[in-house]
Amino acid sequence: MEQFSQAMIIGVSLGAQYALLALGFTLIFGILGVVNFSHGGFYMLGGYVAYSCVYHLGLPYPLAVLAAVFATGALGYLFELVLLERVIDDHLSTLMLTLGLYLIVSTAVLLIFGPVSPEFPFPVSGAWRAGPIYVPLENLVVLAVCVCAIAGLYALLFSTDLGRGLRALADDRDVAMAQGMRPKLLFPLAFALATGLAGLTGALVTPILSLSPSVGDPVLATSFLTVILGGLGSLGGAALAAFVVGIVEAYTSVYFGGSVGALVLFILVLVILVFRPTGLLGREIRGA
Amino acid sequence: MAGDELRVEGLAKRFGGLRVFHDINFRLPPGEILGVIGPNGAGKTTLINVISGRIQPSSGQVFLGGRNITGQPSHALSRLGVGRSFQQTNTFRSASVRENISRAIRFSRRSGSAVGLDLLLRDFQLTDRMNEQSDKLPYGLQKMLGLAMAYAIGPQVLLLDEPAAGLERGERSRIDGFVAHVREHGGCGVLIVEHDMDLIRRLCPRILVLDAGYVLADGPPAEVLARPDVIKAYLGAGDEDEV
Repeated sequence: MEQFSQAMIIGVSLGAQYALLALGFTLIFGILGVVNFSHGGFYMLGGYVAYSCVYHLGLPYPLAVLAAVFATGALGYLFELVLLERVIDDHLSTLMLTLGLYLIVSTAVLLIFGPVSPEFPFPVSGAWRAGPIYVPLENLVVLAVCVCAIAGLYALLFSTDLGRGLRALADDRDVAMAQGMRPKLLFPLAFALATGLAGLTGALVTPILSLSPSVGDPVLATSFLTVILGGLGSLGGAALAAFVVGIVEAYTSVYFGGSVGALVLFILVLVILVFRPTGLLGREIRGA
Repeated sequence: MAGDELRVEGLAKRFGGLRVFHDINFRLPPGEILGVIGPNGAGKTTLINVISGRIQPSSGQVFLGGRNITGQPSHALSRLGVGRSFQQTNTFRSASVRENISRAIRFSRRSGSAVGLDLLLRDFQLTDRMNEQSDKLPYGLQKMLGLAMAYAIGPQVLLLDEPAAGLERGERSRIDGFVAHVREHGGCGVLIVEHDMDLIRRLCPRILVLDAGYVLADGPPAEVLARPDVIKAYLGAGDEDEV
């Protein structure tokens, strides 16, 4: 029973991490119509920025996490404003640009930091115990920060004019522009928001898992899987799917082992998509 | 809320070698309702798209209240008071009726010009359904919501792209009510692209006929629709009875 409960807590913690990544990924797709192949790169970069701030600049870890958020957000903002904006309506070009950015960033990190994973332990250690249940404190800290970030994102999107504008652009860009929305002003902000979330996740999670120049690859795959399962462009779907993926991954890893766990996850997603091709909360695209 | 005159001078649009329309000239004074008709492919929707800034003109100029607004993007024109609706039911479908109109009012940033939310909901019979998600509304109400959103920005000129398209015959009286409301309260000029000739006759004291990219006729419906060249171009030689 304790194994079952622990797996649930780890699954929820994983789900919160995946939710942050998937929400950013689906924000970019929903608002800009861009599949961001560099999303994993921003996660990896967030980890390296936090690592550098702690070990080279001597900053405390919380400040390092903030620095990672701002650095990845700023890079995302500039990337959208200077490069992506020019080809925003050309799906193939945006795909190539984001993929190119990922390759450039990961190669630069490889050249600067080398291929070996740096020593970057999470600053909080120990465990929370309740009877037979044992949960590492680092998981709880990450879970708490992720939940706060998700709540903050929802508050931004649903309670502010900026959020209303972003959601309006995601709903229908032409109608939003006819109502006075300025995509060129909001697209870089949306991109920065999403990449900042990826950077935050990277800064929080890489000290627990691992940090290397290639750590963005599986993150991109998981983000893809999650947003497709949730329904492309659906914020609620992405969040729900992230927790489904996290919990399924935790249980299958605990009971069947890592590789079987991934197999179970992919089969589950396949079955769900057969019966709900638009994903858990996705909607059919309205035709002309 | 008084409108500004819309003036179109020598407007032309080409897509590569394809000429959509050429040398379009007309004036739409405040308070006037202008119907634009023409066969499919005549360039009616493209004309609205160019005037509203959705696409750029190839040549020519558009003025609003004497100000040259040619080629400005649609968000900038919206803030100057160019309101438009779309052929399809283009609403923010994940948002409620209330939120849709509220967004239109907020986004337009036309302080002092935008219309009150509660007034709009009441006048367009949307109050009872204001908390429903817009894509759950019947099609006719979605069209009305789209019109209400275009009007919510407090337009100086209103461009309506086939407002009656897809509506049942009985529902089309809603469009009459909408235009009557705009005429009474808004005072802005209204340009209506529409295929429903009965509706055009009822609402528009003046119509403009587009054919093959040119203005074929411009004048009162009774006069214009009786012209043999209009009948031949738009309605077909054998369809005089439908005029």
